[in-house]
Amino acid sequence: MTITAPECLLRLYEEHPDLEDYQGGAPRWCAGCGDNAILAAVQRLCRDEALRPEKTAFISGIGCSSRFPHYMKTYGFHGIHGRALPVAEGVRMARPDLHVFVSTGDGDCCSIGAGHWIHAVRYNMNMTVFLHDNHVYGLTKKQASPTSPRGLRTNTTPRGAYLEALNPLTVTLGVQNASFVAQAVDWIPEILYSIVSAAFHHKGFSFVRILQRCPKFLPDLFDPWLHDPQKVLVLTHDNGLQLSPGLAKVHKNRREHDPADLDRAREIASGADPIPVGILYRNPGVPCYEDLRRSGKLRTGAFVRAGLEAELDKFTIWPQGHA
Amino acid sequence: MHSELQAQLAFHLTGVWSAGRPEASDALELRPALLAAYRNLSRLRYDFPLVLARNAPHGGAVQSLSGLMDRAIEDAAPRDGEGERIRGHVLRMEQAIRALVAAGGGGSLATLWDTAAGRLESSGEDLLADSLSRARAALKADGEVLDCGKAMPARLFEHAWRTVQESKARRFREDIDRLILRLSDILAAGLALSEEGRSPERLRAEVGAAHREAFDFEAMSRLLAGSLPKGTLPESRRRRIASLVSVLESQRFFPAPGERAGGVEPYAFVFESCAAALRAFRERRPAMIALAQAVAVARLEVENEYVESKHDAFFEEFGENVLGPKGVTLFPDYLVRIGAADMQAAGHAGLMEALGAGLPLKVLAQTDDILDESPVRDGQLAFGARSRQLAAMAIALSEVYVLQSSASNLFQLRERILRGLEYPGPALFSVFSGAGGACGELAPYLVAAAAMESRAFPAFSYDPSAGEDWASRFSLENNPRADLDWPVHAIAYEDDEHQRISEELAFTLVDFVGCDRRYAKHFATIPRAMWNERMIAVPEYLVRETKGPPEKVPCLPLVGRDGTLHRAIVGEKLIREARRCREAWRSLQELAGIHNSHAERLLARERKAWEEQRTAHAAAALGPQPAAEAPAPAAAPGVPAQAEPEEERPRDEPYIETPRCTSCNECTQINDKMFVYDSNKQASIGDPDAGTYRQLVEAAESCQVSIIHPGRPRNPAEPGLDELIKRAEPFL
Ligand SMILES: Cc1ncc(C[n+]2csc(CCOP(=O)(O)OP(=O)(O)O)c2C)c(N)n1
Ligand code: SF4
Ligand code: SF4
Repeated sequence: MTITAPECLLRLYEEHPDLEDYQGGAPRWCAGCGDNAILAAVQRLCRDEALRPEKTAFISGIGCSSRFPHYMKTYGFHGIHGRALPVAEGVRMARPDLHVFVSTGDGDCCSIGAGHWIHAVRYNMNMTVFLHDNHVYGLTKKQASPTSPRGLRTNTTPRGAYLEALNPLTVTLGVQNASFVAQAVDWIPEILYSIVSAAFHHKGFSFVRILQRCPKFLPDLFDPWLHDPQKVLVLTHDNGLQLSPGLAKVHKNRREHDPADLDRAREIASGADPIPVGILYRNPGVPCYEDLRRSGKLRTGAFVRAGLEAELDKFTIWPQGHA
Repeated sequence: MHSELQAQLAFHLTGVWSAGRPEASDALELRPALLAAYRNLSRLRYDFPLVLARNAPHGGAVQSLSGLMDRAIEDAAPRDGEGERIRGHVLRMEQAIRALVAAGGGGSLATLWDTAAGRLESSGEDLLADSLSRARAALKADGEVLDCGKAMPARLFEHAWRTVQESKARRFREDIDRLILRLSDILAAGLALSEEGRSPERLRAEVGAAHREAFDFEAMSRLLAGSLPKGTLPESRRRRIASLVSVLESQRFFPAPGERAGGVEPYAFVFESCAAALRAFRERRPAMIALAQAVAVARLEVENEYVESKHDAFFEEFGENVLGPKGVTLFPDYLVRIGAADMQAAGHAGLMEALGAGLPLKVLAQTDDILDESPVRDGQLAFGARSRQLAAMAIALSEVYVLQSSASNLFQLRERILRGLEYPGPALFSVFSGAGGACGELAPYLVAAAAMESRAFPAFSYDPSAGEDWASRFSLENNPRADLDWPVHAIAYEDDEHQRISEELAFTLVDFVGCDRRYAKHFATIPRAMWNERMIAVPEYLVRETKGPPEKVPCLPLVGRDGTLHRAIVGEKLIREARRCREAWRSLQELAGIHNSHAERLLARERKAWEEQRTAHAAAALGPQPAAEAPAPAAAPGVPAQAEPEEERPRDEPYIETPRCTSCNECTQINDKMFVYDSNKQASIGDPDAGTYRQLVEAAESCQVSIIHPGRPRNPAEPGLDELIKRAEPFL
């Protein structure tokens, strides 16, 4: 905008929203489900950043975790299985003024939506993506997902999963243009919030894998990590995560890691025990696809109509003699 | 001989020939030797004529004909024999166009090219047409061709100003169009949700004709009307947005390209006097405020940030502030073109006042003659005083962009001109055209160039946006040899023995004045027979201290039309004026940091101090070496932060480690009075008596992060306590 009406005078009237301002319907997740923790962290972020609900869009696919948009009092799109990312990309393209968040499950993202995932990383569009990774299909009642650990008994693998689990962090870090990769666990709220916030502030495709408990179908899966802070490796850095003194006392297993160091990030990401938690990689220099492709052309009604007509004309069968 | 010397000295001092010698005849057309080479400009390649390129990218708005031709040659001519042929033909074309322009021909490059091509091709030369058509296809720009003359500066500035305004207009229009679109979207969405929007007629209109029969629009309308959402567009907001759209659509400052916005006549912004520009500015101020306000409100509206209870009053009372000094710069600037000579004292004062007030004026003050008589007729010559004053006074206002230059140099300064026109504030451009005066057939370009060479009209710029200090703001960069008093040129001639003599000659004010017939009486040509060693060149004379009666006489080498070298003695008044001119130039140099006296003093002092220190060090080095300083002890290895003693909590009271709560709902589902969420949606104990000890223990057991501590039972009568106390043990 070139008009510089004295901003300070006009924006005197700041709003101070509460958490309630972002709470949509009451969550229908099981009690104890880690999705609740993610929801609380994200609602806190919205409140702390005073995001305007009408400027914020939550997009998801299908799954328990994908019910996320229903519980946010913002714009939302509960999409189709595996397609959260392409929908979010479309939103970014058409409405670059919106803050776009994506919630996707490990089945949604890494199984049926894996193709979209890889390309979304490469497109690096400005959005914040939460991979709610509970290692299982929750909504459809316990089938193995690509991130299920080997040996996990599920309805589709009654004798235990045969394959090693796919590692969403190393996959993402291996894709060209990856610009923000972090990992959090739902049971350490302070770190979860810090990472969600860092992801939001990164301009580009911010990929946050959150290890999420599904007490309904895998009640003990994360217990060893839940009860032993030593089994969580906290990555700290001046440009990364910093712990409060209180939390630092509990989490003594820490390591300095510079998020600019891609090689080191890949090395850390490949470890699963202890679980690395923190910002693995951040590169603010990667261009965003929507910026590269922004035409600057105003999308007036007439403009959109003309574009549609031209597109439809390609498939129109004209009567004979029509030019 | 002695009497001849006396006569020469006397002329120098008094300007009168004691012996009544005839003045140099005009027939010789004597000209200062350094200018002798430039009799026919159209045979030279130099910056002019210019091409005022249409629709050129920024920075390419003003081009030189030669530059354009060079680029066309580069693109069209391969580096081989054929390329040489094309090159030759294109250069001839350039010369033909130059000649057309010099003869008063005008128009666009394309038309001049056609005319010239017609003439050249009539010679029937082989392949000429081929060369020209290939070069023409490679020409990068078209536009008016403009020679360096009286009308040039005004045309050039108007063109550059337009280029700048167009890009400003484009940005502004983009914003306005976006706002109009977004506001219209809000109105359209409001309509769609309104009762009217859900009427059967509307619904019918929105469904394509093909399937109209398949719907019962009455029923549809009834259904939809029953579920009208709450957040429809309030009438007051609808009216406000509609009026914003109308203000934005009917503004007259930035008309939509190709059409008159809403049929309204766009404002004009080019004026021939400051007073007229100021009048227009004042008349339009209310419209500017209204538009700026509309834009500000519209921005709030599209962000859904307009709060009636607060903003209504703000805009009513302080709305004018929306148009701060910064806001003004978003509107078009007023281009004012004035002749500096026509300006009276009152005009002067008015101009300075307007510039000082920071109004968005871009003023071109053109001077055609800087050798006119001094306004204070006390026998002083005071060349160019008036126009030089203009620039100096404007610089003193400190927030004004100032550029002074001869017309000949405007092409070199095009970047600075554009920067000045883009500068968010007033700007003054003082330009000497070289087209007045009495320099005979000397082309205005040469007169202007000579004025700059001779420091009579130096080029400089002062850009307040370039930084905080003079070093960043002020520049003398485009003057020839800005480090010297006078620029130096080589001159070569043949002496009586036909030997080639070359020497270096400084170009001084006297050379410049020597071109102007009005000052012929200050020069006396001396026949070759009377030349003597007491005659020395003007620059040499100027550096001599003059105490007592002069022993030497200053003289200027002149060249006649036939190429013969002459010498003229220069009157003392001119010498005095040349010295004054040099002083003025030296002050400019100081401002630009050249031979800056303060800096030089400081440098001398520092150098002295440094040398003293060095001597002292050298002396000390011979004495005993001081013991190497012991390294500072390394900082003690990080002492682990003293673990604070665990806060002792009364184990009898139930509590939750709230910061570690994952908001999982387990406990709140057990009892949402006993366990409550705080503003971060993290659990703490609400009313411990709102439930049973059993519930406390069950919550502690089901909390997966084990942060609920149930404490001791509060009601000793609760059944099954023994078992519960045991279960609570791990969580205490
Ligand atoms: C195209 C398609 N295929 C299959 C399904 C069935 N389905 C619904 S959710 C789901 C997997 C959900 O798992 P995940 O993405 O991990 O989410 P969670 O429920 O664990 O949060 C599947 C396979 C579907 N809805 N659509
Ligand atoms: S099934 Fe699992 S993932 Fe789904 S809501 Fe329940 S606990 Fe959460
Ligand atoms: S059960 Fe524990 S983690 Fe869950 S809400 Fe209650 S206190 Fe928080």
